[in-house]
Amino acid sequence: MRARVLVAMSGGVDSSVAAAMLVEQGYDVIGATMKLFCYGDDVPDRPCCSLDSINDARRVCEGLGIPHYVLNLESAFGHDVIDNFVSEYAAGRTPIPCVRCNTFTKFRDLLHKADAVDASWIATGHYARTHGGELLRGQDPGKDQSYFLWGIDRSVVRRMLLPVGDMSKAETRARARTLGLQVVADKVESQDICFVPDGDHAKVIGRRLGADTPALAPGPVMLADGRVVGEHDGYARYTIGQRRGVPGGFAEAMYVVAIRPAERAVVIGPREALLGHGVVAREMNWLVDRLPTGSRVEVQVRHRAPATPAHIVRLEGDEIELALEAPVAAITPGQSLVLYDGDRVLGGGFIERGGSSARTTLPVIAA
Amino acid sequence: MPQPVYLDHAATTPVRREVVEAMEPFYGPRFGNPSSVHRWGREARAALDEARERVARCLGARPDEVCFTSGGTEADNLAIFGPLRSQQKKGRTSIVTTPIEHKAVLAAVHHAARDGVSERMLDVTRAGIVDTTSLDRVIDDTVAVCTVMWVNNEIGTIQPIAEITERVKAHGGIMHTDAVQAFGKTEVDVRKVPLDLLTISGHKIGAPKGVGAVFIRRGTQIDPMLHGGSQDRGRRPGTENVAAAVALARAAELAIEERDMECTRLATLRDTLEEGLLARIPDAVIHGRGTPRASHILNISVPGTDSESLLMALDLAGVAASAGSACQSGSVTPSHVLTAMGVRPELAVAAIRMSLGSLTTPEDVARVVELFPALIAKARRLSGMAS
Repeated sequence: MRARVLVAMSGGVDSSVAAAMLVEQGYDVIGATMKLFCYGDDVPDRPCCSLDSINDARRVCEGLGIPHYVLNLESAFGHDVIDNFVSEYAAGRTPIPCVRCNTFTKFRDLLHKADAVDASWIATGHYARTHGGELLRGQDPGKDQSYFLWGIDRSVVRRMLLPVGDMSKAETRARARTLGLQVVADKVESQDICFVPDGDHAKVIGRRLGADTPALAPGPVMLADGRVVGEHDGYARYTIGQRRGVPGGFAEAMYVVAIRPAERAVVIGPREALLGHGVVAREMNWLVDRLPTGSRVEVQVRHRAPATPAHIVRLEGDEIELALEAPVAAITPGQSLVLYDGDRVLGGGFIERGGSSARTTLPVIAA
Repeated sequence: MPQPVYLDHAATTPVRREVVEAMEPFYGPRFGNPSSVHRWGREARAALDEARERVARCLGARPDEVCFTSGGTEADNLAIFGPLRSQQKKGRTSIVTTPIEHKAVLAAVHHAARDGVSERMLDVTRAGIVDTTSLDRVIDDTVAVCTVMWVNNEIGTIQPIAEITERVKAHGGIMHTDAVQAFGKTEVDVRKVPLDLLTISGHKIGAPKGVGAVFIRRGTQIDPMLHGGSQDRGRRPGTENVAAAVALARAAELAIEERDMECTRLATLRDTLEEGLLARIPDAVIHGRGTPRASHILNISVPGTDSESLLMALDLAGVAASAGSACQSGSVTPSHVLTAMGVRPELAVAAIRMSLGSLTTPEDVARVVELFPALIAKARRLSGMAS
């Protein structure tokens, strides 16, 4: 009997090509589109807005001659991803919902569906690779998505198929054309977070927490010493390293260097105040055997940032602290810290705070 | 893969061979427009009139009381909005319905409610029928229209239409019933129940999708939903779909002719299926069991499972069934019918509707009696592992 694989299909080009390649490779392929949210909540009679993507995925499957199902994961996604997204912003952090979606929605909830239909494999259109039970960066450095995948359970890696991870985006598009997937071949890639239309994350926060939430209320813009230099329109609209919305009139360019939700304060400072020499992360998840303190690794603190050499200075429960060999700008609480060894993904965690020095106890940035 | 098993006749049925044959001339030489004065028009008109007479006979109605529509949804909407304005002019301000109606009725009623009509819900018992003790509370002289389905499409329960109709008429209201799942499954005769409006749909009885009809009792004032020509006495403008009307007539006649035998056959199969499943899954819940039910629907929930996964697993094994209701995306949502009946959420999310019909054989039933419990056992093993 052919090996069965459940492919998560968004209706986009990457997952469509992934499914088509698996069909070519002889797998027994089942397509599934996850319905994760509905903008139409306020207008109950309106059809779901993710409908077009679902229809595209269905058409691709029809063309490939494979079954397609729509899986309603709205309530789990709302809880695991959207609620967390909102509460992170309210806590003055900058969340990265794609990581939690991969961890909980795609490679846990969807995996349960795979089990339910006897699929031993699960596939996605991510630009990453697996080898011998380990997760690797995607072949195309410009497209590598391994940064978003550190949170999945290590045992799941052995069940993952990532067919486009060996290709560049251009190759994937070309492949889509030769595979006859015209519907999706030239689809414009969205840079938005899927449940945040038009990139307006404040709207999502307002809808969930109420328009009068402190996170969206005016507050002081201050310097690290507490001097108030202006007012902002809600700290949830700011992230570390941001320049937009920061008052001018200083001798040098100023950036957001900290957010203090208790005071509703956005703290600004010069570029050097952004530099961190250490980083602390929580919810550490290992995709290899846990490394000991003192190990030398490379770390990445945001998507598309270059990897920086570092060494582990402390490991306590699911918390990790690293000293960076070169300072890194704008280490942002809520973003991911991912540990690499070349192309191998060693593990990762959510950034708790950065540090201006590599001392064992790191002061809160710019505090 | 073994022979596929289609257990979703309540969703739609295959078009019957006799029906295809009856339609064919109208996709060929008899293509005329029934409103035309020439021979082609006359031929089409004759066929349309005859189809109307035949549908009327099947319902115990007069030909002028039958209005063809594009299907059940349009018929339901016409039956709800059609009489509303003239009723409102008489000072009648409320619409009565139940929380277990098809979306075609519920959404229409909600829409009317947004335009200022007061919406009143009858209670539903845990067994899935209208609680007639709630009639006193809900039905009074302000009722413009009352709409209650005859047979519930998800669990098959037969509603006390005669009793509700009597009450509504006593208060001068207009009574409508959606008989889409009832027609051909139970006696539907408008001479025996004094309701004003009744909906049927073609594709549930072996006619194609896209045709239905609404019975409109003589004297019932109807404002059209569409505006155009004078077809169907102005109640439903637009060039009539002659082929579809003929198809509906033929399918309706066949359904009536075969009703007693077919219902007995389906009831036997359904009961075999039900008993077989209960014997193998003792804690399964059959919704509406013990209540008068149409013979073609079985709705089952097994604790510790979910309908979404089960439907996938059934489909991959070649068995077509459905959950309560599917949204436009095709994703499964907990049934509003089961929720209204007070079914616990963990059972509501596990509901599987199997609906039998012309394609169903004893072999199909035997296969599902074996397959379904095996899928259940596996789903429960996995949910035990996951929790």
